[in-house]
Amino acid sequence: MKILVTAKRVEDPESKIKVKPDGSGIVQEGLKYKINPFDEIGVEEGLRLAAKHGGEVVVVSIGGKEVQEQLRHALAMGAHRAVWVNHTGTLDQLALAGLLQKVAEKEKPDMVILGKQSIDDDQNQVGQYLAEFLGWSQATFASKVESLESEQEKNKVPALQVGADGKTVRVVREVDNGLATLECALPAVVTTDLRLNLPRYASLPGIMKAKSKPIEELTPEKLGVDVTPKIQVLKMSSPPPRKAGIKVPDVATLVDKLRNEAKAV
Amino acid sequence: MSTAALPDAFLRAIAEGFPPDFLTREPSELAEYGRDWTRVYTPAPAAVAFPRTTEEVARLLALCDAHRVPVVPSGGRTGLAAGAVAARGELVLSLRRMSRMEPVDLLGNTVRVQAGAVTEAVHQHCAQHGLTWPVDFASKGSSHVGGNIATNAGGVKVIRYGLTRQWVLGLQVVTARGQVLELNGALEKNNTGVDLRQLFIGSEGTLGIITEATLKLTRLPGKQDVFLFAVPDVAAVLRLFRDARQAPLLLSAYEFFTERCLARVQRHRKLRSPFEAPSGCYVLMEAEATDAAAVEAWLGSLFERGLVTDGTQAQSASQASELWALRESISESLSATGLPHKNDIALPIAALEAFCVELEQFFGARYPGWEICLFGHIGDGNLHVNVMKPDAMDKAEFLAHTKQADHDIFALVRKYRGSISAEHGIGLLKKDYLSYTRAPEELELLRALKRALDPNAILNPGKILAP
Repeated sequence: MKILVTAKRVEDPESKIKVKPDGSGIVQEGLKYKINPFDEIGVEEGLRLAAKHGGEVVVVSIGGKEVQEQLRHALAMGAHRAVWVNHTGTLDQLALAGLLQKVAEKEKPDMVILGKQSIDDDQNQVGQYLAEFLGWSQATFASKVESLESEQEKNKVPALQVGADGKTVRVVREVDNGLATLECALPAVVTTDLRLNLPRYASLPGIMKAKSKPIEELTPEKLGVDVTPKIQVLKMSSPPPRKAGIKVPDVATLVDKLRNEAKAV
Repeated sequence: MSTAALPDAFLRAIAEGFPPDFLTREPSELAEYGRDWTRVYTPAPAAVAFPRTTEEVARLLALCDAHRVPVVPSGGRTGLAAGAVAARGELVLSLRRMSRMEPVDLLGNTVRVQAGAVTEAVHQHCAQHGLTWPVDFASKGSSHVGGNIATNAGGVKVIRYGLTRQWVLGLQVVTARGQVLELNGALEKNNTGVDLRQLFIGSEGTLGIITEATLKLTRLPGKQDVFLFAVPDVAAVLRLFRDARQAPLLLSAYEFFTERCLARVQRHRKLRSPFEAPSGCYVLMEAEATDAAAVEAWLGSLFERGLVTDGTQAQSASQASELWALRESISESLSATGLPHKNDIALPIAALEAFCVELEQFFGARYPGWEICLFGHIGDGNLHVNVMKPDAMDKAEFLAHTKQADHDIFALVRKYRGSISAEHGIGLLKKDYLSYTRAPEELELLRALKRALDPNAILNPGKILAP
């Protein structure tokens, strides 16, 4: 089976993220980047499915030349080849889903796996748009029933269960009041939640091999997608800084403050 | 001397000659300022003084000397050998209020700071100019420059930059009698006889109080790659080290730990090993590639030449932190999953392999069934030997055994011409064992120095040398 997985380049939470004083975006200088952790989980799940059912994992990223770093990371984990949609400048969620739609129509995978959201702007939209654009079934927030310390996880058993006839996938998803199980016809779009698997580290031999794996370059023009943003970011601002805590002398004062200042009791 | 035993005349002189907030005897402050990161001794200082200037330090010390008031100098108190512990009614002299940093001298690549400047603040102060003071360790957010210098601190970058000693150009020191010495200023070269500055570096506050320093800076390092390798044993750790030293890399860390350490880290912190199969030893290497293509060829050859059995390279800053966490959570994980007895020893790198073999044999024969967790900055010859209490043995019996075991380990250290304290210092904790590393003649010279500089023994008495 063929699986298309996204690998978005996002700011690494290890670096300090600051909003520009004019609110036009974040300070780029000195920032470090990584693959979106939800996408990394998607790559891992794709690799497990390919190991179990045979087939190919194709990883796709959209952005400038620098997103090749994240593609190489996914290739080092074991993905077979990569597609890079070369575009610099702002893209909104509709444009991203539009580009991915064209890539999916070109690659004709059995499944597209995306992170349920990316940790930079936490939009949680692209997977859903993409399923709609493609007219495929969708299963969002895919999770694992077993614990992440279970034998299944240790043995890298995929959590997504493909039917014996290869025409369906069964997905357990986290919902507010528990777990819901969906069975979707393939091809389908699946988005990953945090508790789907623990992504592997790239081995050194894997990292070496990744350097010679092919990366195909595409552009929005070649794919015929108009990426003019329909959504505009007006302003960014930091959350208000937390106020320092205080010490209270006794329980009575605490209760008084909770009742009259915090209005919590 | 018990608490509250400060002479009245001394207290009057303080009240008359210093600002009202100069001295505190608040119990919570006494508890806080009386101890470092060791938890062996109960803090019991008589008072804590917070001078703002070198002149105040000088007047205070002259008073202390006259009234025979013992003084414990105090920086960030992150030490691990009880060098900053005040457990016997001493006066703690905190440099906290002396944290001024002057502008960076971009021509000389130096910066003048007061002793109370926090290490990390110095890093931030210099980073804006692309420079750094390459003294770095986990406690840098609390430790003070003065403490770093007084303990000649080591840390995680020693393999590339050396100890604190290499990065101090000039010192301002106040002696026990209250004299202010300016030693070497900002000179790179000053060949005018014995360099007194070096006497105070690593003296643990027993010879004088460091109040200011001119620090030597270097350029911020370039992009660091972080690797974790799996190798079968200590011999393989050293083989790989020999090879890495020849590789087209600038090593900034070469750390090792055994599978027993990793198993306890996994148990306590639930951190994951990047490898499918366990291995005898692991090496965490951090390096700056000087030639990317050559490094790649070298990495590829490690497998062909059988130098490593597995390996990974961090693909992001987050992954680099995850790999570092495996090494940095060892100490905490050993304490959380059992009772470790710790030693921090140094050996000539060439002797490490033979030492480890003999250590293993010695424990196997003398204390069968004991679990030894080895880790450390092996690139600096620095080994942390952790002996874990067997579950079936009670604590008192274990401690009695480890005391004897220490003498045996240190005898082995002496045999290989090593040191009983690689980077933690001596303080109170290790002073009974100093003779394993320092000869009687050397100890006599150290005592003579102490008498010459501090005749009334008021500076950090009882630390390093028994009074």
